[in-house]
Amino acid sequence: MVVDADHVVTELYAISNVPTVVLINEDDTIAMPNWSAYGSDLFSEFTGVESDRQHDRIRRWVREGDAGMSTSEAIGVVGDLSSEEEAARLHFRLALALRNRGDQAGCDRNFDRAAALAPEDWTIRRAMMPLRGQDPFGENFMALYEDWKAKGSPYHGVRGY
Amino acid sequence: MRADYGPRMANDTALLDSFGTISEAQLAELGWTLKPEGLCQDDTCVLVPDRGALISDVGLDLAVLGDLLDRPVAVDTEAGLAAIGAPRATRRRALDDLVAPDFTLPDLVGGGVTSLSDHRSKKRLLIAFSSW
Repeated sequence: MVVDADHVVTELYAISNVPTVVLINEDDTIAMPNWSAYGSDLFSEFTGVESDRQHDRIRRWVREGDAGMSTSEAIGVVGDLSSEEEAARLHFRLALALRNRGDQAGCDRNFDRAAALAPEDWTIRRAMMPLRGQDPFGENFMALYEDWKAKGSPYHGVRGY
Repeated sequence: MRADYGPRMANDTALLDSFGTISEAQLAELGWTLKPEGLCQDDTCVLVPDRGALISDVGLDLAVLGDLLDRPVAVDTEAGLAAIGAPRATRRRALDDLVAPDFTLPDLVGGGVTSLSDHRSKKRLLIAFSSW
């Protein structure tokens, strides 16, 4: 298990929410790009996803090499980050660095900028909540959730598999 | 001036002290050198069509540098700190060609690091999650 404090992987793979799962073949090719998949049904009321079906899909990929998505289907199925979403990741990184330096005003300034640039990106908006002393399951989270839902639940990846 | 955590971070991204320009020494710390043929790293050179836009009396313009290298750049001019993102081509290869980008990150325990490529030739289930 590794820690990605700077959210580098979200930049490299265009990840905008968690959990996001990527199935990677032995030859470094992506068998299933960013996939909204779950370890249990704990949040199935929210997500509408049955995790058992997803686990079966993963088992089939491991045993038979079939991830359930053809290469032609997988290519381009994840939309690229916009320039704003890219910039938000950098401002998130700047905020963390300034926080570590003890520059709280600089930290807040960059978190605000990141949130404004990527308002529906959970790896930005929700991730900064605990770092700003906010409850990631509290009022701010519910406001984000309602806003995100009203905007069509944007996600850089595959859902419903 | 070098940032206390160093200008280069893993995974081809960087944080560095800058108000919007960098010195040639900082450029070298990022792994690039300005040569007559362009911006060069190892055997690869990127053409610089307008050197006047890149170079001024105060250094190399980071925004122009970012455009030339196809990397996002963000500068906090109040703090004098800049962030340079990974090459966009790396992500495009993931999305369009299905080539999984490698990365190296610190382990949660033990003080070591792990790279995706440490497990090459095996199937890998990459799960991005947060403890919130």
